[in-house]
Amino acid sequence: MLEMFEYDFMQRAFLAGIIIAVLASISGTFVVLRRYSMISETLAHSALVGVAVGLVAGLNPLWMAVVFAIFSAWLIEYLRSYFSLYSDAVLAVLLSGSLATAVIIVSLGGAFNNSLFSYLFGSILSVSNEDLITILIFGTISMVLLLAFSKELYFIAYDEEVAQTSGIKVKLVNFLLVTVVAIIIALSIRVVGSLLIGALMVIPTIAALQYKVGFLYTVLLALAFALVSVACGMTLSFYFSLPSGATIVLCVLVLFILSLIRNKK
Amino acid sequence: MKFKVPIFSVKNLSFIVRGQKILSNISLEIFNSEYVAIIGPNGGGKTTLIRMLLGLEEPTSGEIKLYGKNIKDFKFWDKIGYVPQRASHVDASFPATVQDIVNMGRTSKRGFFSRMNEKDKEAVHDSMVKMGVLHLKDKMVGTLSGGQRQRVMIARALASKPEILILDEPNTGVDILSQKNFYALLAKLNKEERITIVFITHDIGVIADDIGRLFTVNQKAIICNNPKEALSCEEMSELYGIEAHLIHNHKHEH
Ligand SMILES: Nc1ncnc2c1ncn2[C@@H]1O[C@H](COP(=O)(O)OP(=O)(O)OP(=O)(O)O)[C@@H](O)[C@H]1O
Ligand SMILES: [Mg+2]
Repeated sequence: MLEMFEYDFMQRAFLAGIIIAVLASISGTFVVLRRYSMISETLAHSALVGVAVGLVAGLNPLWMAVVFAIFSAWLIEYLRSYFSLYSDAVLAVLLSGSLATAVIIVSLGGAFNNSLFSYLFGSILSVSNEDLITILIFGTISMVLLLAFSKELYFIAYDEEVAQTSGIKVKLVNFLLVTVVAIIIALSIRVVGSLLIGALMVIPTIAALQYKVGFLYTVLLALAFALVSVACGMTLSFYFSLPSGATIVLCVLVLFILSLIRNKK
Repeated sequence: MKFKVPIFSVKNLSFIVRGQKILSNISLEIFNSEYVAIIGPNGGGKTTLIRMLLGLEEPTSGEIKLYGKNIKDFKFWDKIGYVPQRASHVDASFPATVQDIVNMGRTSKRGFFSRMNEKDKEAVHDSMVKMGVLHLKDKMVGTLSGGQRQRVMIARALASKPEILILDEPNTGVDILSQKNFYALLAKLNKEERITIVFITHDIGVIADDIGRLFTVNQKAIICNNPKEALSCEEMSELYGIEAHLIHNHKHEH
């Protein structure tokens, strides 16, 4: 099994995968508890617009993905406050809008090829040194922000209004959460792919929720599920030449189903 | 007599949604260490009034001051503990132990990153003891009974060591005995710890002896300054309903 680590690309992919598993599962806990699950899907598609722009314009696609995902997250938060009744509709509109834009940019630019496929479903072959550095830089920033605001995020997820009346700046913390989620999603599209990253954010947490344990243990369980899925998924991807995002998501689904069965009343 | 700044001071507060008057021209003051009960029919605007006092809803017109400061400039929200209506209806799958919930009460007292220090832990422990939920601390909040949850929510509100506790009908669905204990506890918090209590309830008869003043809210507010009159005030306001005029709005003297 260790022979796969003889390849440089595999070492890079594994490192990137582990960082992403940590980030996606911890931020995912807040996203799920906050009932923001749909936002991860929408931001993933917006990140794809960044990738498309990057591919066509010859800029770093990962950086572009980060920029576009953050922009989209802010736009969502802005629109939400104006159409508060239809916030899920806002997400749906932006999701299809982004995908359409990405496809058109790529088609016009003549870059509709394998490289785009790898951004959709993830690829272990594609993580470059440059990507790894980008993931490390933005990943550290995101992690610091998540840890700094974890108690506020938890309180807001439980009861937004009581949190606000106790003096927490709810708008600011929400804004930070969507920004961090946007960054994490953009970073993940190398390894997991934009169509599948939503699953890696959401499923480890809902699997962990089946165990009905306190907050800390729920986060730790989600983290463990994400790490195991990424490790297994990448190994499968290596030996069977499958897109890594797909194998990772199938692994996390298996863990979810096992959690459901084990905790069935 | 010493002049005292009221904790809440409301002047000519009105709230109109799509042409419908929900609250109309309400003026009232709430002072330190008072025990105020708010009653009124369903839909009378009690929750709306409280939400405005907490800055969760903006009035159409009127002025709200907290500790003498305009509500927009008020900073010391940790002085206020709030238990909203239906707070005890928790989502059964939310991953929180009783301890997790009561810890939330310390959130705004702690800085970024900072773990719970001794003072935080002590405050959390004290408020769990006070509310009689310490033995439940490792239980998932979703598995508790309605009455136990109610106590946990109040323990969270107390954990920040508030000067004022605002409770919006926290006792619906709780058995009679638990309710009696609960009322006794509120009275004790008010008498012994001098915590100001604003309590929205429908059980005015039971607590009539504990409270200092009674507000009846049904679009307008009727303020009874004499607890002995409490019941007759209630009857009166029921009789007059929305048309009621302010019958007792003497300045509250402390
Ligand atoms: N933001 C709002 N938009 C529209 N209507 C509102 C809003 N806020 C309150 N209302 C209306 O105001 C009325 C008063 O509601 P409120 O919840 O304050 O009553 P309440 O006295 O607390 O009733 P209950 O005893 O049932 O809790 C209701 O008819 C409610 O629908
Ligand atoms: Mg109400």
